[in-house]
Amino acid sequence: MTRTTQITILIVLLGLLSLFYQGLWGDPRHIPPILIGTKAPIFEGPDVESGEPLSSKKYQGKVILVNFWASWCQECKVEHNNLLKLYDEFKDHPEFIMLGINYQDEMPKARAYLKQYGSSFPHVRDVKGALAIDFGVYGVPETFVIDQKGVIRHKWIGPIVGDVYTNLTNKILTPLLNKSAPTI
Amino acid sequence: MARLFSILLILCFAFPYSGLAKIVDETEIDEKVREIAKTLRCTVCQTENIWESGAPLAHQMRDAVRERVIQGQSAEEIREYFHSRYGDYIMMEPPKHGMNWLIWLAPFILLLGGGILLWREVKRWVTRSPKPEAKVSPPLDEKSQRRIQQELNL
Repeated sequence: MTRTTQITILIVLLGLLSLFYQGLWGDPRHIPPILIGTKAPIFEGPDVESGEPLSSKKYQGKVILVNFWASWCQECKVEHNNLLKLYDEFKDHPEFIMLGINYQDEMPKARAYLKQYGSSFPHVRDVKGALAIDFGVYGVPETFVIDQKGVIRHKWIGPIVGDVYTNLTNKILTPLLNKSAPTI
Repeated sequence: MARLFSILLILCFAFPYSGLAKIVDETEIDEKVREIAKTLRCTVCQTENIWESGAPLAHQMRDAVRERVIQGQSAEEIREYFHSRYGDYIMMEPPKHGMNWLIWLAPFILLLGGGILLWREVKRWVTRSPKPEAKVSPPLDEKSQRRIQQELNL
């Protein structure tokens, strides 16, 4: 066997091994989301604070930022102030809506969390986890941006902090609210 | 009296059968849920299906499967729903398209390639090995020759 053949076989084997490793033990967070560019699911559930039914239907035609969170999630606490800041920044725009979806949580704990960390936008309770499955959620926090046509334009897994916040506001939300394409 | 007896008789037969029918229905649903859940991967675990996983998300996914089974959706429709939400990652058996073909064909390619390489190497090893020389006995000395001759003449 020539040296070139040996090296080729070694490269092919290593390539296959890395593919198998990625497939079996890779972090699902790094898998490209397949819901981008597809119609967002219509969701409804009880409002975490008031218990009144809340549906995304009434926000059709608006840019909706959806954030999945839970009171037991540490990264959610990290991003919480930024979410409040983001809402303050865009709340006066007539086409902007922000909704939280409380995921795998207990109602009293979720309410206590909102009381402690602050709440300025509505939160829907995902009672059976069905909303999370509809959105293809792996864990919390996860954030989605839905455009005026009801199409998912962006998904972020992890907290909205630092550059992620800047990109979300400057390159996604602002262009969408100005009816132009996101620049990310 | 005969009428009452008839009603009682009907009730005796009707109740056990209706109960049995219910048990059979539930078992069928359970079986179908298990069959589908075993083909769906738990998205927050590693190499576990949602039937075997103890993760809360897997539990919720099992419930979602059950709800859809009860609604009368087929196994294929339910799998397609989960696939539309999570992509190929959720399927325990990767769908046969694109790069996934590599996963399906790699074992056979490796087996075939390995076999060919092994055959070539063995063939080369056999041709390269020196042939054993034919054993030529050393000529007998005069004393031995005489001895053999004597033995033969006896």
